[in-house]
Amino acid sequence: MNPLEQIPEDIRRTAARCRHYAMCKIDYLDTGLCPPAKKTPYVSYFPQGRMDLCDALAKELIPVTGAAVDIISSCTLCGSCDRQCHFVTGMRPMKIMQALKAFLDAFQEKGEKAAVIPEDELLKALKNIVGHKWATNDPAHLLAYANDPFPLADRQIPGYVVLPGSAQELVEIVRFADKAHIPAVVRGNGGSVFGFVFTPGIVIDVNRMKKIHLDPDNWSAVIEPGVTSFELQKAAAEKGYRVNTAEPAATVCGNIVCTGLFSTWANVYGVGADHIVDMTFVDRHGTVFTANDKNAPNVFGFEEAVLESPGICTEARIRMHPVTDDEEGLLVPFTTLADAVSFARDISRRRIGLSVGILGGHYLSTFISPTQSLANQTRDVFSSILEINCVVSVIGDRYARSSIRQMVPCVIDSSTFRMFTLGLPQLVRSDLADIVEGLESDRPAYETVLSAEMLPVLEEMLAPSSGTLAAAVDEDLRDFYEALYNRPHMTDMVWLTMFRIVSARMSRHKHMFAFLIYVPLEPMDVIQELITSFAEIAEDHGIEHDLGFITPLDLGKRGILEYDYYIDHTDNAESEKIRQAMADIEPMVDKLSRSCKGVTFLKYIFSQGCARKENFLYA
Amino acid sequence: MLSQQGYTVLLLARPRDNAAPEERIKALFDWLGTDGIPSCVQIVPGDLNCSDLGLSSADYHLLASRVDEIIHCASDTSFSERKRSQIEKANFENLHHLLGFAAKSRCCFFHFISTAYAAGKRRGVCPEALVDTRSFFNVYEETKHRAEKSAAEYCGREGIRLNIYRPSIVYGNSRTGKTLRFNAMYYPVKILVFLKNLYLTKNGEQSREGAEKMGISFGPGGTIHMPLRIEAAASGGINLIPVNFFTAAFSAIMETALDGDVFHITNDKPKPVSDIIHYTQKFFTITGIQAVQTKDFQSSSQNRLEMLFNRYTQVYRQYMQDERIFDNTKAAAILDRKGISCPDFDYSIFSTCMQYAEAVNWGNPS
Repeated sequence: MNPLEQIPEDIRRTAARCRHYAMCKIDYLDTGLCPPAKKTPYVSYFPQGRMDLCDALAKELIPVTGAAVDIISSCTLCGSCDRQCHFVTGMRPMKIMQALKAFLDAFQEKGEKAAVIPEDELLKALKNIVGHKWATNDPAHLLAYANDPFPLADRQIPGYVVLPGSAQELVEIVRFADKAHIPAVVRGNGGSVFGFVFTPGIVIDVNRMKKIHLDPDNWSAVIEPGVTSFELQKAAAEKGYRVNTAEPAATVCGNIVCTGLFSTWANVYGVGADHIVDMTFVDRHGTVFTANDKNAPNVFGFEEAVLESPGICTEARIRMHPVTDDEEGLLVPFTTLADAVSFARDISRRRIGLSVGILGGHYLSTFISPTQSLANQTRDVFSSILEINCVVSVIGDRYARSSIRQMVPCVIDSSTFRMFTLGLPQLVRSDLADIVEGLESDRPAYETVLSAEMLPVLEEMLAPSSGTLAAAVDEDLRDFYEALYNRPHMTDMVWLTMFRIVSARMSRHKHMFAFLIYVPLEPMDVIQELITSFAEIAEDHGIEHDLGFITPLDLGKRGILEYDYYIDHTDNAESEKIRQAMADIEPMVDKLSRSCKGVTFLKYIFSQGCARKENFLYA
Repeated sequence: MLSQQGYTVLLLARPRDNAAPEERIKALFDWLGTDGIPSCVQIVPGDLNCSDLGLSSADYHLLASRVDEIIHCASDTSFSERKRSQIEKANFENLHHLLGFAAKSRCCFFHFISTAYAAGKRRGVCPEALVDTRSFFNVYEETKHRAEKSAAEYCGREGIRLNIYRPSIVYGNSRTGKTLRFNAMYYPVKILVFLKNLYLTKNGEQSREGAEKMGISFGPGGTIHMPLRIEAAASGGINLIPVNFFTAAFSAIMETALDGDVFHITNDKPKPVSDIIHYTQKFFTITGIQAVQTKDFQSSSQNRLEMLFNRYTQVYRQYMQDERIFDNTKAAAILDRKGISCPDFDYSIFSTCMQYAEAVNWGNPS
């Protein structure tokens, strides 16, 4: 059977565009997870894997196997994937699920039989460790672990995928692989964007290892390696605590080992070793050690080199932080990045606020917009009309917020943020431009528009409500969005900053290729030089680009800067552009790193994420 | 106007917003309602931002050989201090690019359109002459003042006669209401209309709850009550002239004043703010707005609506409380002979202008 005849072109194209950000693997919208995947958490049962399967079948990369039949048949067409995926990417995978079912129906109607993949001795050995259900060599499963949107890594289908249920099983797999001389890599949630986790050997998927134990007496949480940021944050928040975690779908242990945990909370909670109470690893030979063992490898040290990870983390005890009940978010708008950096540095060194981050116009507008077109229009309104080109996002208690209000002419507080978010479709349609155009003020327009006397007028203009916001999305999703945005936390900056469910929207229009660099926050010249260089290189290679965010660290002495390139990861020509750009970027950052204190490329911290921050911020 | 007087007009124009100079000028003539670009108008694609006017050397010299008189009417009318460099560039530096060209051409007469407000901060009579002033309400006034002096020095040195034309605040055509821009006189009115339309939608629905937050209420027959005091001077008012008067006056002076001089093209009857408030309330069925003198205004605290209105119209406040009186003896001597006079900005003209503004949605096609 020719799959090309069965799977329409638009379906194939959408399937190939899955970003692998794994947001379909966490229940971040309370839609419930994909039901079959909840029972059998191979990546292949999640919508992400199903999209890969559709892509692979369409490209005839694999035959229709027993696992493929089971994966497709198990889909209940419940629609959760549509809601989850649309929220962050704007894509509608339900059509793919329907197309897969139609494909399978046609396959079976023609009397064709699924290919049977024979077990080999190695698979039998793996099944002996983890149980029959949790090891496979079926290509329908394997291909879900074969690639990610990283444009410089080719697809590499592993020989086996195994899902251990405990640390002991994980250690046994590593020992077995070492003894059999088979390469093995660990994948957290099957979500990866750096192309590091591919192997022709064994992929160890830790998605069954999700135990969380909170220890409030020690302000710490003990977690297994399959626990995601979202899940841990949720557990901690229920007990009145907070953890510093990264992207919601990323596994916490994987993040710690790979890049170290950083986020806008790193302003007060730190980075690297700051988060770790202890960790347990199994090294590549199957030796188990803990980070606090004085005879163990020193995971807290740092060397400016690309190194291998110390091993696979089987358990981590990480710090939890107290929360006060008066925390709220506010955004401080700025016309220039230099002013924003200066302000962020200032409040960081004065210990004002908790989470602090400078967001560019693209980030801000994309975060709060449920569709890409609305994001584009919002950015125009912010920059062209309101003259807001960046904001400093701050979470703080009432004392912090009061201090900030005394430091700047105006802020977007939590209620104004809610008004903007829920009234966004009206904002972009409003007569605001007409009114602001004649202002001729010596101050930026946002100071007038955000003035206390203007806010009731804005509220009238925007008619903020969940219904107003829902009007921006496809008609059949409006009820869902309306119900979703009726929940207060969807417009609560504290919750959004803790759970970061909107950050994956950054890649809604194209895959985001992020460059992260530790930088000094003053003089501003260093940041400016980096931004200018990234922009020039991107322009030279015809790549879409923008500043991501900057977060102050260590009382504002240092910060972390993200600059983003955007590419269509399904387009080989775009991948080639990135390849060529990389040849310019690495020497540029390395050169700056040699001449400026405090500049460190994150690529040198890969696999050294447990290092003490002092070792790489001040070396 | 110039074409009717037998001139050949070489129109220096630059591209903008992806529109070529020809397209822009064509659109302008279409808007004016002429039958295409008149045959006596030739468009010269160029740019005053460049010292060579954006022309090739050959074109520059060719143009220089064809020019007898130059009219400079390219200004940045922004008031904002933070746009100072942009305003200085447009109003001062770019003028010098044209003066430099004039000196290299066969131009014998330079016509510079300035503003009556180049007089700067002062009360009472402003003479129809170059004056020394160091205090201005905004960067626009300042740059036009500097430009006048500079043009006078340059033209004097180069032996080019110079006329300086100083209009006051120009609004649309008094007969048709037509205008391209809705700033200056229009902007405060536009703010009030915006608020009215916000709370009283076209289908007559009232947003009472939202209006109450601003102290706005509704009366019978679609009226809306805005409790708004506007600070105004005890005497004087806003000096408004229609664009059709300006063009007629400019043309007459240009034809008559051949020795070079300074002329105020202004209105003998500045319009009190209270009159404009009255017109606005009548035309837009608004009540509650009143002009008050500064001492009365400051005697009680501002309500939210007043704070909002003042914030939005702050930049225009000095023109609403203007006590400058523009001597126009020299201009009047010419205009009176030709039967040209500035119409009083009465309710009829206000209505014409506002009807046009509403018809074109205040210049916003959407």
